Amino acid sequence: MAIADVAEYAHLTKDEVEQLGREFDAIRAEIEESRGAKDAAYINKVITTQRWMAAGARIGMIVSSPFPRARKPVLAASAVTLGLAKILENMEIGHNVMHGQWDWMNDPEIHSSTWEWDTGQPAEQWKHSHNYIHHQFTNVLGVDNDIGYGVLRMAREQKWTPVALGQPVYNALLAALFQWGVALHDLDLEAIRKGQKDPEEMKRQLKQIAKKGRNQILKDYVLYPALSGKEWKSTIKANATANLMRNIWSYLIIFCGHFPDGALHFTEEELEDETRAEWYLRQIFGTANIEGGPLFHVMSGNLSYQIEHHLFPDLPSNRYAEISPRVQALCEKYGIPYSSGPLHRQYGQVLRTVMKLSLPNKMTKDDRPPTGADITIEHRRKAEEERQIRRTELGGWSRSAS
Amino acid sequence: MTSSVPLTSPPFAWPHGSLDKGKVVQCALSRVCGGCGTSLGRPIAFLGTTEEVDRNAFHAPPLHEACARALRETGIAGASVVLTAGFEYVRPTADALDRRPTFVPNSIIGPA
Repeated sequence: MAIADVAEYAHLTKDEVEQLGREFDAIRAEIEESRGAKDAAYINKVITTQRWMAAGARIGMIVSSPFPRARKPVLAASAVTLGLAKILENMEIGHNVMHGQWDWMNDPEIHSSTWEWDTGQPAEQWKHSHNYIHHQFTNVLGVDNDIGYGVLRMAREQKWTPVALGQPVYNALLAALFQWGVALHDLDLEAIRKGQKDPEEMKRQLKQIAKKGRNQILKDYVLYPALSGKEWKSTIKANATANLMRNIWSYLIIFCGHFPDGALHFTEEELEDETRAEWYLRQIFGTANIEGGPLFHVMSGNLSYQIEHHLFPDLPSNRYAEISPRVQALCEKYGIPYSSGPLHRQYGQVLRTVMKLSLPNKMTKDDRPPTGADITIEHRRKAEEERQIRRTELGGWSRSAS
Repeated sequence: MTSSVPLTSPPFAWPHGSLDKGKVVQCALSRVCGGCGTSLGRPIAFLGTTEEVDRNAFHAPPLHEACARALRETGIAGASVVLTAGFEYVRPTADALDRRPTFVPNSIIGPA
């Protein structure tokens, strides 16, 4: 659907939409003006904590080798600690640093142009597939590769084929191997399948992924196990456990941020000249929050505040908690939905969608507002001549005129 | 860090001689240089007119310092280069007369 067709938005006039935009602008300006030493201290503390956790875990695996009695518990503790360190590095540090949330600090290390994270995908490709494609075209069918990661059918508007019957299995594999699913994200598997990918660009990206992937494998499955001497197999198992923990957790947080029933899908029309206020609205309609305590939010990279993150992707993540009640109050004031729920409920809805959409549409009932009757979306950006000329009018006029 | 990659011809964000809105958004969010199309470095440079420098809001996307200097010679986007560690990407509002997005440097290091 286009943003103007969202039922929850239909009651707003053009002026109300723009007023809502100005209220979000005010929140943004306030955070920009007040960010400073306290925020810098926060991210430095998180990075220091993460590094001590990772170092402690790696050392624990090595020093436990000569002590048969202590080996198992120390290894188990080290594996869990390393898993938590990887989660912190990927979610609260790497993801947010690469958004440019901390660029204002002018720190040579904590900067979007220099950070390379502890996962299979090269930072450069992440900044394209996530920062640009996903955040600019949030939940836009056929464009945003986060809708099913090129593997799963997550919207009824995506064409059903018998391959979709295996979705429950693909879903479990994607969760377990999420690091590698993300690594291939910017390749755009769907475009490759359809022969739409530029072969030169694909070659360049594959080379980058191979180099990054090789380094990740060497680090976790060759170098550190070698340092453990004859107990190298145990270290491999512990590192694999840590990677599995990080994979499943990041999959859960990302899927729960976009695929519960409250998050809507959109088509590409009307996005070209979208105003700031409309963009804000699309971010709210396309995302969902996960409820939890302060530690849960930190471990999710504050992506549990997915709505706030999509509204303000380059504001420091530690400020989303204070923004959240204000965003929620604005949604209430303007009568628009603010989708939020505990992890188990949000994931339950995701899992139901995965199962339902493994079957043809006619065999299941829709759980969310459809994009349109019998619409099937192709996976590709539209060519210039295929795009509709966008109306600049907003609100009631554009809806009644359609 | 400055770019070792030469400007593409035409420059990445000016594929037809004028700024391409889609490329500008891509540069802003993917954090790539509007001149050569590769990953940005640090500091980030903005090229603009005196007016843009005075109001601290630029239309041209972020650039490598070297690309900004090279583009300055072409006169494609003004003659002033400002260096910054970070920037805000500002989408246009419905009532803005100029519907181009702007970039607001948020931690200016100085002029180049």
